Amino acid sequence: MSTPTATIRVEIDGVATEVAPGTTVLDAVRARGGEIATLCFDERQEPFGACRVCLIGVDGAPGPVAACTTPCRDGMKVDTRDPAALRVAAATVELVLSELPGPPAAHTELAIVARGFGLQHGALRWPGAQHEVEHDERHPYLTLHHELCISCGRCVRACDEVQGAFALTATGRGFEANIAAGLHQSFRESTCVSCGACADTCPTDAITEISLLAMVEPGER
Amino acid sequence: MPPSERFDHDVTTTCGYCGVGCRLEAHAVDGRVVSIAPALDGPANRGHTCLKGRFAHGFSRKRERLRTPLIRAADGDLRAASWDEAIALIARELSRIRDTSGPDAIAGLASSRATNEDCYVMQRLMRAAIGTHNIDNCSRVCHSPTSWALRQSFGLSGATGSFDDIEHADAAILIGANPTEGHPVAGARIKQATLRGLQLVTIDPRRIELSDYGVLHLSPRPGSNAAVMLGLAHVVARDGLVDHPFLDARTEGYDAVEDLLADYAPADVQRISGIPAGDLERAAHIYAEAENASLLWGLGVTEHKYGSEVVRLICNLALMCGKVGRPGSALLPLRGQNNVQGSSDMGALPDTFTGYQSVADEDVAQRFEARWGVSMKRERGLKIPEMFDAAVAGELKAMYIFGEDVAQTDPNTTHVVAALDALEFLVVQDIFCNETTRYADVVLPASSFLEKRGTFTNAERRIQLVEAAIEPPGEARTDFDILLAVSAALGHEMPFASPSDAMDEIAALTPDWAGVSHERVGRRGLQWPVAADGTDSPILYGSRFELPGGRARFAALPYKPPGSEADDEFPLVLVTGRRLEHYNAGTMTRRTGNLELLPSDWLELHPDDAARLWVSDGDLVSVRSAHGRIELPARVTERIEPGHVFTAFHFPEVRTNLLIGSSADVNTSCPEYKVVAVDVRPVAEQASRMPAIAAAP
Repeated sequence: MSTPTATIRVEIDGVATEVAPGTTVLDAVRARGGEIATLCFDERQEPFGACRVCLIGVDGAPGPVAACTTPCRDGMKVDTRDPAALRVAAATVELVLSELPGPPAAHTELAIVARGFGLQHGALRWPGAQHEVEHDERHPYLTLHHELCISCGRCVRACDEVQGAFALTATGRGFEANIAAGLHQSFRESTCVSCGACADTCPTDAITEISLLAMVEPGER
Repeated sequence: MPPSERFDHDVTTTCGYCGVGCRLEAHAVDGRVVSIAPALDGPANRGHTCLKGRFAHGFSRKRERLRTPLIRAADGDLRAASWDEAIALIARELSRIRDTSGPDAIAGLASSRATNEDCYVMQRLMRAAIGTHNIDNCSRVCHSPTSWALRQSFGLSGATGSFDDIEHADAAILIGANPTEGHPVAGARIKQATLRGLQLVTIDPRRIELSDYGVLHLSPRPGSNAAVMLGLAHVVARDGLVDHPFLDARTEGYDAVEDLLADYAPADVQRISGIPAGDLERAAHIYAEAENASLLWGLGVTEHKYGSEVVRLICNLALMCGKVGRPGSALLPLRGQNNVQGSSDMGALPDTFTGYQSVADEDVAQRFEARWGVSMKRERGLKIPEMFDAAVAGELKAMYIFGEDVAQTDPNTTHVVAALDALEFLVVQDIFCNETTRYADVVLPASSFLEKRGTFTNAERRIQLVEAAIEPPGEARTDFDILLAVSAALGHEMPFASPSDAMDEIAALTPDWAGVSHERVGRRGLQWPVAADGTDSPILYGSRFELPGGRARFAALPYKPPGSEADDEFPLVLVTGRRLEHYNAGTMTRRTGNLELLPSDWLELHPDDAARLWVSDGDLVSVRSAHGRIELPARVTERIEPGHVFTAFHFPEVRTNLLIGSSADVNTSCPEYKVVAVDVRPVAEQASRMPAIAAAP
């Protein structure tokens, strides 16, 4: 492989900057200390572009684009505070929250992102169907709370791309979308090697450590 | 609420399980570890860890943790004692034995689980406070052959590169290691690399998980590794794949190797190893024709009668192909324990001070004598197996064993127990009572990796910081504090207020560690050698080897048969190894939820052997060698070749090491754990109503 030498010039929120070819907008923003909310992104995994929360405005683009999967191009002008992008992202998070039977635990990424958009589980514009509580606690360390799954795919990708156990599967569609160990088995019956990468990446504690359950204070501040 | 507000103490530390050296974020509440997560910036683990590092921390607050010193009472039982009483007894007994029988009647074992600083003060205690070089550590029984051979071939005793080389390599050969179980995070990195196109060849008597992801798997007969390595070299030479410019510029001794290779044509090697000639040829081409290729190996290479010679043959192959000293072309031994590299680096060896400086070297010895204010012998001390022999012979009278359960993990358990029994005085410093503490006169309650500060050195020679997440339980103390107190009671005060002070002395006495300090180690670690200005060495031998003339040395070593071979009485060959869920003697993992994930062990055997022996899956079997007999359930699997059986050694109730004899590596005394001729037969779980006809004698 040849080492890329040329750099790409982009403008982020009016500030000109240079990045290496292949750098995504999200990487470029974060490398400069900027922040863009994400839900399905984990730096250990390939960008997925599924959650539509990291939306930004790009000069000349027909609409908001996902920062995590958009590569920087020479001359690109990025607006991380683009009103349309932020409005769509906030609505997306609001819809995600509306499917949960309760507010996410305060320390989770979902709760932090929701707070960033000023959203409260108890004051959503579109209350709708909520997931039924379904807990799997058959593993000595890992627990799966299906009702908290937002189908971001991070656990499945951690299992595939970081560990390589291929134990987790995305299941169902639409409102029924969820995850399963193996073919709707317990972790122990699947090919799970108990590495915990899924719990580590989960932004909602749908998969978490049993030892931490007792320490979680549900509710919002 | 940010994550840190859930916990009252957070530290970034280094895992105390295997030699991968994962950096961890440990979180504690009310003096207990409640959660451990991988550090995103860990160089070896890059935001990942395994079920041992992440979950198996509950042992640290188990009720049976040692919390006070124990002294053997007149009635033979261990009773609680004060620290003053225990240390006074140790000082009195060790002084008495030293005065009546000489300092060489005492021996110590440092722990490859403990920090560099702990191991440094332990070897200084033995050398300066007692006055003997009888100090060793458990790398003796795992990678001492690797350490020795790398020094002979290249000059330094460590991996030539880093785990990052796995991603930079186009091909790799993995020999005698099962990383997805023994080194899970390295295993995951290798597996991911294969999914991105790494051409992986696995060489192991068992078809390991990574074999399913590789391009080729070779199953040699246990003990035939030397023939396999010579065969690969034969094909490289025969097919014009030798890197002659590299050979001419940077190595010496190839001519003798070339002569030797004539005897190892693929057909010859097939006869010795059982590996099809065509597979051997293909493996050699995959390695030699790749632009960058690495060699990785584990205890399946070293724990043999000629393990150290096989490591030299592995080095030969890399030299022939010029594949050393650049990214992606590395030799990476997968070191077993968290600090097995460091405990040897720290001079917890009978023949070397820190940084492998010989005790026989006059200048070196005088430097240490001046610093410590003592005089020392110039002759090496006893290696671990020699210590047990000397104890049985009555020449060794006392041992100080720190963090190693020799009665479970060392070979030939019967002999080890006889040795411990024969000692006049035994001190064991550990975190739990174990098989070895049964023979102790004093037991000192020590600290786990979650309760101490210092550094570990991983399999990449990377020195990394260890921070305390919690305090030692009860009256238990850190190993560092205990060893300083014992040394002082013996009349040798060490001037260290903290482990960081000890590291400063290590740096002052060790050229390869000249620039190391806790401050410089920081979050990213340092890979030794570290120059005085703090520059470290991720890749060794980029331009010269650390040997006279800067040239690497070939070794012309033929294949020789293993110390144990199947015969009529013991027709199967037992290979021992590890399981994912447990770690070594299981002292820690058996006291966590990992025991629920894997509650017991089993013997793996091939369906052909199972059918011949009338054994079904799950049946209890007896496994008998010339040295002992154990019983465990059988698991019938095609992952193992006919004629071979496999089990681990994590469970004291199985006592696998009763089966292992005293056969050991010819250069380093590393035991031949990997080849034991055994007889396997079914055992009825309950007495049968009809008396069985006696088995043939």
